[in-house]
Amino acid sequence: MSIEIKNINKTFNKFDALKNVSLTVPDGQLVALLGPSGCGKTTLLRIVAGLEVADSGSILFHGEDATSQHVRDRRVGFVFQHYALFRHLTVFENVAFGLRVRPRKQRPSPTEIKKRVDDLLKLIQLQDLADRYPRQLSGGQRQRVALARALAVEPKVLLLDEPFGALDTKVRKELRRWLRRLHETMHITSVFVTHDQEEAMEVADLVVVMNEGRIEQVGTPDEIYENPVNPFVYQFIGHVNLFHGRLNTGQVRIGELDITLDPHTEVQMAPVVAYVRPHELEISRTSEDVAIAVTVSSIHLLGPMVHLELLPKDSSEVLEAELTKEHYRQLNLQKGDKVFVKPRKMRLFMGGK
Amino acid sequence: MTTPLNTHIQAATTEPRWIRYLLISLTLIFLTLFLLLPLIAVFTQALQEGINVYLTALIEPDALAAIRLTLITAIIAVPLNLFFGIAAAWAIAKFDFKGKSILLTLIDLPFAVSPVIAGLIFVLLFGLQGWLGPWLSAQNFQIIFAVPGIVLATVFITFPFVARELIPLLQAQGKEEEEAAIVLGANGWQTFWRITLPNMKWGLLYGVILCNARAMGEFGAVSVVSGHIRGLTNTMPLHVEILYNEYNFAAAFAVASLLALLALVTLILKTIVEWRVHQLS
Amino acid sequence: MFLKKHTVLPGFHLALGFTILYLSLVVLIPLSTVFLKAATLSWEEFGNAVLAPRVLASYRLTFGASLLAALLNAFFGLLVAWVLVRYSFFGKRIIDAIIDLPFALPTAVAGISLTAIYAGNGWVGQYLEPLGIKVAFTPLGIVVALTFIGLPFVVRTVQPILQDLEMEVEEAAASLGATRWQTFTFVILPNLWPALLTGFALAFARGLGEYGSVVFIAGNMPMVSEIVPLLIITKLEQYDYKGAAAIAVVMLIASFILLLVINILQWWSSRRYS
Repeated sequence: MSIEIKNINKTFNKFDALKNVSLTVPDGQLVALLGPSGCGKTTLLRIVAGLEVADSGSILFHGEDATSQHVRDRRVGFVFQHYALFRHLTVFENVAFGLRVRPRKQRPSPTEIKKRVDDLLKLIQLQDLADRYPRQLSGGQRQRVALARALAVEPKVLLLDEPFGALDTKVRKELRRWLRRLHETMHITSVFVTHDQEEAMEVADLVVVMNEGRIEQVGTPDEIYENPVNPFVYQFIGHVNLFHGRLNTGQVRIGELDITLDPHTEVQMAPVVAYVRPHELEISRTSEDVAIAVTVSSIHLLGPMVHLELLPKDSSEVLEAELTKEHYRQLNLQKGDKVFVKPRKMRLFMGGK
Repeated sequence: MTTPLNTHIQAATTEPRWIRYLLISLTLIFLTLFLLLPLIAVFTQALQEGINVYLTALIEPDALAAIRLTLITAIIAVPLNLFFGIAAAWAIAKFDFKGKSILLTLIDLPFAVSPVIAGLIFVLLFGLQGWLGPWLSAQNFQIIFAVPGIVLATVFITFPFVARELIPLLQAQGKEEEEAAIVLGANGWQTFWRITLPNMKWGLLYGVILCNARAMGEFGAVSVVSGHIRGLTNTMPLHVEILYNEYNFAAAFAVASLLALLALVTLILKTIVEWRVHQLS
Repeated sequence: MFLKKHTVLPGFHLALGFTILYLSLVVLIPLSTVFLKAATLSWEEFGNAVLAPRVLASYRLTFGASLLAALLNAFFGLLVAWVLVRYSFFGKRIIDAIIDLPFALPTAVAGISLTAIYAGNGWVGQYLEPLGIKVAFTPLGIVVALTFIGLPFVVRTVQPILQDLEMEVEEAAASLGATRWQTFTFVILPNLWPALLTGFALAFARGLGEYGSVVFIAGNMPMVSEIVPLLIITKLEQYDYKGAAAIAVVMLIASFILLLVINILQWWSSRRYS
């Protein structure tokens, strides 16, 4: 079941939460809405669910207009950020709720409900805790119950609001993988909201980067990482070093560094910002034709990688570089060493200071 | 050489022993004088002339009529305010709307009004000299110096109790659970009966207990509208007053002891509910 | 029409509509009658009704006794709250439960019981009488009754705040060299002020309107021990409805001002503790 979002606008007390947002979620995909807090991602999710109503625009499920449909009739599964488990009901009753409240004619028989719920509890590996109350569960267990409860009504799409937001790092990682596997077995169209880029990149088929009520970029995790379309996406996805410079007839000048480019030859003296990821900075002991002289100001060893902070001679802005431990040993770096860096790859955006 | 244990050094955040004992003693003396003695006095005074006098005072027709009227009043007033409390809490806690804080203040209003004034307003409204008095007497329907007036004054006095308990409770619980129920296909009634009501049952019980205690024990407001007609418009507290003013102290305290028992039951139930809620959270 | 935000939950208009209707019928319309009745008086008549010497004496008594009782409750309420939160002793849980007795015990019962204890031949009165202290049937008796009635307010507003106070702050004060008394006055007390004032104001407001517990112990002598609510009843019994309404208006305005003060205090308090 595909979801089409067309020209959605939403304003809260004069604050534009969503500005003309359009998006297509292909059938069976797991999509992440990624952005900083306040970017409108949760609002968009709630509008898709029918929990909020857009000021204008439409929502289509599988080509059918669902804009004026009540949440109850949309057949969406929604997993709330803080799970919203019914605190007075057991795990079993929480999962069974959606089946029990159906109109009598559509309601499954008690034995059928029992079987369905038991199957779901097996799926989330909590069959032994069926009689527990939500307050007796750990955060990760509650999360799984919330998911099972949403799946019990056989939704056509599954929507998750910051599904791992309230969990600690280790449980988060486990649940992420588990969600990914679950999606691979069920192939239900799913959209989840997150502010954690690592989470989005690891779990989703498709990442939608949002900022200030707009969609900045839609793409696979690899596309987003390798080809960010604008500075915001570049900065939001992973660490990045900024170089301010000027572009003049095919030449970029950053500090004392000159880089020759082919396109933009007609541009004369325009400010540009160059974005270079830490691992794209090459470090060498000897000066080459184009390189920036820097001092190593700190060294952090993080497992197989080494993280360096480098202080350029002519600026106070610290550069971040990342290299393998192997390479680091070859270079035999010490704090205070003078070395040279050169971007292996960079991306230029017009504008800046 | 072993160093002596510094047993005389106390923790940084407590007081010397003698101060603690002094403060505890002061507290106990104060509470004894102002709480315990009055409570004990009710029962000893009630039984001072023996168990027979005590029982006679409770089963004489006027006393039974007063007990009956008190129960009737509570049975009408409590459910009315319970229903109102639920409606008000649903509207105020689950929705955002303009004028919410004004509405909250208005709900608290009866707490700020003297019971005597609460009685007065109904006399001004329904009394013979009141706005609706002449019309009512033409219909041969009496409110003031009759049971309806007593019920109305009691409803006014106990108006905020349930709402006051439920609103903060529902506000703290938020509305995500209700939204979850709706997403899962529940309709409005199902959501209310299966989710909201079970979640607020303890707060509801708490509010009802307090509301009931006040409804059965209200004196000032009821006193103004009742007319003090023995056997007809006397509630238990009013019956206590009449007996007391007739210097029939043993009987007055006998009826009062029933009300004091009610207060004790109220406190016990209240403590149980608080304990339950504490356990659940 | 009032709703600020869309929501999927149903029943808003029904619930709010019923709330406003019921509020109007039970509270607002009846309450307005007092003001309407008082408005039928000319300014001069109104002045005569609310400023007569006997009325002025009853204001002095009611406000004075309420103030005194509220002050007593502020002091002892803080003490009780402190002892209940900080110390453990035998019977503490029962004491904690019984603090709410004045909320649960009908005021008339409290009135006759306090009178029995504090009368000249009562359990406490018999020891006070030889000392020349008469409690029952004097203004002092009114203070005793109002202290009983207002007792839970300060305890119940201060107690939770004291409970949530972080021990670490006191430990910090001690580590910086403060004595226990300095810690209390400079660190603990400033945190309790809003709650203490709120409790004080609530007890004071309750005292102004109290009738049931006071009439039995007061003696009810005009000019000496006659409280305002009793005066209103006296006026009613004399069929002076306008006079009763006029005095009621004065008391209602005082109560509303107090309600406003209490709301401001609670707002201040919630801002401080959030």
